[in-house]
Amino acid sequence: MLLNVAVNFLEVEVGAVLDFHVIVLIKHVPDIEKVKFDVETGRIDRSSAPGEINPFDLNAIETAVQLKEKLGGIVTALSMGPPQAESSLRDAIARGVDRAILLSDHRFAGADTLATSYTLASAIRKIGRYDLIVCGEKTVDGDTGQVGPEVAEHLGIPHVAYVCEIRESYGDRLIVVSDMGDKFLVEVRFPALITVTKDVNTPRLPSLRDILKARRSKVEVWDADSLLGFIDMSRIGLLGSRTQVFKIVIPSEERRRGIILKGVDSVNKLIEALRMEGFI
Amino acid sequence: MWSSIDKTVVEELSSIVGEDQVVFGVGRVEGYLLDETPLPIRPEPCRDVVVVKPASTEEVSAILRLAYRSKIPVFPRGGGTGLVGGCIPTRSGIILCLERMNKVTVDVDNMMAEAEAGATLHDLIEAADRSDLFFPPHPGDEYAQIGGLIACNAGGARAVRTGVMRNYVRGIEAVLPTGDVLRLGGKLIKDNTGYDLMQLIIGSEGTLAIITKAFIRLYPKLPFSITMIIPFDSRSAALKTVPRILRTGIMPLAVEYVERIPIEVSAARLGLEWPCKEGEAFLIIILAEQDEEYLYRVCEKLLDVCVESGSLEPLVAERRDEQDRILRIRSEIYTALKPSMVDILDVTVPPASIGLLMDKIDEISRSYNTYLPAYGHAGDGNIHVHIMREEGWDTAIYDEIRDKVYSVTLELGGVITGEHGIGFVRRRSLLRFSHPIYIDLMKKVKQIFDPNNILNPDKLLP
Repeated sequence: MLLNVAVNFLEVEVGAVLDFHVIVLIKHVPDIEKVKFDVETGRIDRSSAPGEINPFDLNAIETAVQLKEKLGGIVTALSMGPPQAESSLRDAIARGVDRAILLSDHRFAGADTLATSYTLASAIRKIGRYDLIVCGEKTVDGDTGQVGPEVAEHLGIPHVAYVCEIRESYGDRLIVVSDMGDKFLVEVRFPALITVTKDVNTPRLPSLRDILKARRSKVEVWDADSLLGFIDMSRIGLLGSRTQVFKIVIPSEERRRGIILKGVDSVNKLIEALRMEGFI
Repeated sequence: MWSSIDKTVVEELSSIVGEDQVVFGVGRVEGYLLDETPLPIRPEPCRDVVVVKPASTEEVSAILRLAYRSKIPVFPRGGGTGLVGGCIPTRSGIILCLERMNKVTVDVDNMMAEAEAGATLHDLIEAADRSDLFFPPHPGDEYAQIGGLIACNAGGARAVRTGVMRNYVRGIEAVLPTGDVLRLGGKLIKDNTGYDLMQLIIGSEGTLAIITKAFIRLYPKLPFSITMIIPFDSRSAALKTVPRILRTGIMPLAVEYVERIPIEVSAARLGLEWPCKEGEAFLIIILAEQDEEYLYRVCEKLLDVCVESGSLEPLVAERRDEQDRILRIRSEIYTALKPSMVDILDVTVPPASIGLLMDKIDEISRSYNTYLPAYGHAGDGNIHVHIMREEGWDTAIYDEIRDKVYSVTLELGGVITGEHGIGFVRRRSLLRFSHPIYIDLMKKVKQIFDPNNILNPDKLLP
């Protein structure tokens, strides 16, 4: 165990980043408009729609890349998910991310937001030095908005959620506008974490050249063992989760109905129809 | 004006389709009178009309028998998305609205849809999708109806690879002006029995028969697609790249051409941003394939062509939402320009001549000191040139510009309309730019099908 820790620290030292370093957290989610739900079992049929970067995370990537363009440095994208999530990390590379890491292991599966944020925080500790972590405000499949702030809590760094504008950016701090219903101007010193809303920017389209290059780029895949020394195995996956999803209920669609009433008898027919529906 | 609608007609129509399905009276018929034709060229609709909504072929037949007997004009109406006034009633008569006939079924084994005339393009696309099949062309507005799409032989953005509406229709059921029902073709790939009257009815703009049902060919899905924006510094550079792309064997689903000003106007109207910051002229290319690896090999090839053609940096949307956003901005250009537009042309030249056509359009713009926004289906040589309002100009100048655009199109071996058709507004141009024998033969054909001239009078024929 000790040896492992030493080796891991050695890796970190070799890959150490001295420039401005932004880590962006992304999630591979199903295309929410195409995905089909099994009403009987209350499950999402993930094979029914291709996976892609969670739409809110595109704004996180754009934020990170814009900061890199202004302040220099590098952007690392980190995701936890099944092997298919590699395609989302490649997309992140095409959008300007320099290094992509996928945490993928069946031991991570079934994680709730607590176990997920713990696992991500552990990987961030392994990555080493960073200035800023950027996340989307929430994911379209989970819709909790909890993972980002929880990661910050695990790491013991300040965080600002629902950032809708980066007002000023410096090498050691950001001044941002946080939209919590009312807007707050917040200065946050690095290392810090922010979660961004759709209003923060318009994500750019990747170039054809970058897309083709990203297809040949390397995505690092880390399993649970590669986090040894940074992680407590009892706090990951289903085992480390304090909440469980028992069932997903899909509300049934109700179509609007209409009747056309004509003639002298209309009022009586209308009253009768309303009575039949139990409105009067 | 002479009225063909009296109490007896309304009563007879009511007895055919039911009282609730007959609409008449000023105000009540208003929603059935117009289409998308720009206001300056649109004919004034006749309001002395009765709207009738049949639910079956038998009812359509009975309506036409009545109209034929009483010599009442019948104006077939689909989704009202046409651009040449094709469904606008120009005389007192019946507006035949097929919206209640909207069933679509799919025969998966034969890969064929059976669609009633009032089903929308959207209904057809959805029905194909539910059967895990695909209707490849995208011939315009998704609320256009099948009957109208076939009657007007709609084109759209994907003709470059998959052809126009007539390439997909394998059979139709149509009601003749006499009320007789004709069934032509079927779920067939081959049919060589005599004159192809089905193809004659397709594109006849409701002047020969009322299409009530069609068999439409479907294809396996193309699950992997991307939309690319290739920016250029000039119109000419963009358009001259198109034949180069097609010569390499790349078969895009669509090759669209747009320009910065109209596309930015359209994006702003939608509250969106055009994603390409550089360049003045753009090709939007949609690639769709069965196999992901193959798709990206095509991309590599396309990048080479772009470099050789001196394009700026091409951008790519892989995600569905990003692809949809680009196409939405593209498809709303017409609506965005419409308030200041006089006319939208749809001239078509041999695909390789499109660069030359645009050079000529540029010359016309310069000589009138105006801007003629152009966008359209560059891959199939079909470009929408817009004539815009100018302060102090009268109809004569707009007509002159239109005729000049038509003349240069014909010089390049083209035609005045590639997809919108003749309708009401292009009849004078049809007469001017077509051979008299062709016009004469068309009139004779009309006479055979519709001796009483009740079907969509004042349309198509000069």
